[in-house]
Amino acid sequence: MSGLMDISNDEKVRIARDFIRAAPAGEFREVVNDVRVLLGDDALLTTASDVFYEHATDQFCRVDVEGSPALVTKEGSVDGSKVFYDPGTGKNFTYKYLTGEATNIEPGVRDNGAESWRKALEDALAVYLKDNFPAFGSAVYGKLDGDTVSLTVAIENHKYNPDNFYCGKWQSKWTVEFPTSGGFAKVVGEMKVQVHYFEDGNVQLHTKKTTEESVQVSNPEEGAKNVVEFIGRSEKEYQLGINENYREMSATTFKSLRRALPITKNLVDWHKLHSLNIGRDLMNRTT
Amino acid sequence: YQRRVRDNRDGDSYRSPWSNEFFPPIEDGNAPSDRMRKLEEQANDAFDVYREQYFDGGISSCYFWEEDHGGFSGAILIKKTGDLKNKFRSSWDSIHVIEVHEKGAGRNAHYKLISTVMLWLQNTRSGSGQMDLGGSLSRQVEKDLPVTNDMFSHIVNIGGMVEKMENNIRGVLETVYFGRTLTVLNDVRSLVDLESKKQHDKLSQGIANAIKNKDRTSTN
Repeated sequence: MSGLMDISNDEKVRIARDFIRAAPAGEFREVVNDVRVLLGDDALLTTASDVFYEHATDQFCRVDVEGSPALVTKEGSVDGSKVFYDPGTGKNFTYKYLTGEATNIEPGVRDNGAESWRKALEDALAVYLKDNFPAFGSAVYGKLDGDTVSLTVAIENHKYNPDNFYCGKWQSKWTVEFPTSGGFAKVVGEMKVQVHYFEDGNVQLHTKKTTEESVQVSNPEEGAKNVVEFIGRSEKEYQLGINENYREMSATTFKSLRRALPITKNLVDWHKLHSLNIGRDLMNRTT
Repeated sequence: YQRRVRDNRDGDSYRSPWSNEFFPPIEDGNAPSDRMRKLEEQANDAFDVYREQYFDGGISSCYFWEEDHGGFSGAILIKKTGDLKNKFRSSWDSIHVIEVHEKGAGRNAHYKLISTVMLWLQNTRSGSGQMDLGGSLSRQVEKDLPVTNDMFSHIVNIGGMVEKMENNIRGVLETVYFGRTLTVLNDVRSLVDLESKKQHDKLSQGIANAIKNKDRTSTN
C-alpha cells in the first residue's frame, strides 16, 4: 500500500483513530486488529489508543464486575482513562479495552448525600429491566451537588453474532435532576439503536431520539416509580415508532424507488427493444 | 446530466454516454472505438426503457470499452432519488460492471457481471427520532450465452443478466433492510412484557400438556 507510506505518522494516527472511533458495536476488537495490521507499528497504535476510552464510553460497554453486569461510561469514569466506578457493587475497576475484562477491583467512593434516591431508583429500574430486556447491563449513578441531586441511568443490551454476520445494540441514558428536598425533577433521556449487517455487503441502521419531561419526586420510592414509568413509556414509544417506520419504508418508500416487476408483471423483452434502435438508426440516416 | 465515472474520464473532462462529447470540451479525448460507441448507444437506449419500467424515473448511463483479451467490458449505472414522501428521504444506486469474453459469432460469449446496489433511507419524526438506514449489497454471476452477428445480441444478454441480478438483489435488500435489521432491534429490547410472556407461555404449555394427557387416557 504505497499510498500509506507517503503520509506522516500524525496523519496515520489520525486515520487510525477515526477507524476505531467508528467501529460498530461489537466489532471494536476486529477493527483494532485490522488497524494494527495497516499501521504496522504498535507504537503508533498506542498513540491512537486514547480513542479506546471514547469508543467504550460511547458504547456503554458491558463488563462483568464480581458477577454483576456493569457498564463503562463517562459518568462512571474515575480517571478519564481506564478506571471506572460501578454504582451497583460500589466498586472501582480497571477496564482492559482489548479483552473487555474488569481487573484490579477495589472499593469505590459512594456519594451518600444522594444514596437513598439512587438506591430506590436502582431497585425500581431492576424490575423494569427484567421485564423489558432479555439481557442487559445497567448503572445508576447518584451525586449531590450543593442542593441538587443528580441521578444518571445507563442501560445497554446488545446482540453480537458475527457467524451470522450481524451485530446490534440498544442504549439509553436518563438524567434526573431535582432539589434535595424533593418536588419536580427534570428528566432528560437519550435513546440510541445501531444494527450492522455484513453478509456480502454492509448495511447499517442508526437511530437516535431525545425526550424530556418533568416528573414528580416527593420521596425516593415514589420518585423512582414515576421516573421508571416515564422511562418505560418513552422507550416503548421509541421502539414502536421505529417499527412503524419500517412498515412504511417497506410498504411505500422502498416500492416507489424500484418496482419488483414492471407494471406489465413481465420481465423486459430485450429483443423487442432492438426495433427501437433500428428506428433510431433510420432517423439518424435520413436527417 | 451524465454519471461521472472513472471509465468515462480523461484528465479533468468527462465524456457523456449520450452525446459522446467531452465536458468540459478537450481535443483528442480518450474516446471508445466505433464498435464500442455503437454498443454504448444501443445500451443507453435499451437501459433507458428498462429504467423507466422498473424505476419510473431516475437516470441511467452505460459505458463500454475494449479489453486486451479481445473482448470488452462495460459499466451500467442507475440512480433514483425518492420523492420526499412522508418525510422519508431515499435513494437507490446501481453499479453493474460486465466483462465479456468473445469467441466469435455463432458461438457463446462468456459474461461476468459484478453488481453493487447502494440503498439509503432517512427519516426524522417525533415518534422515532432520527433514523438512518443505509448501505450496500454486492453479488456476482457468470454465464455463457449465445451471440449472433448483430451486436445487439450482447445487449439482450447483458440486459437479461442485469435485470435478473437487480431483481434478486432487490429481494435480498428487502429481507435484510426491513426484516433482519428490525428483528435485531426487537431481539435486544422486547415489545412484549417478558414477565407476562413467561406466564402466557407457561399457561400455553400447561394447556398443551393437559390436552396430550387427555388424548392418551381417552384412547384407552
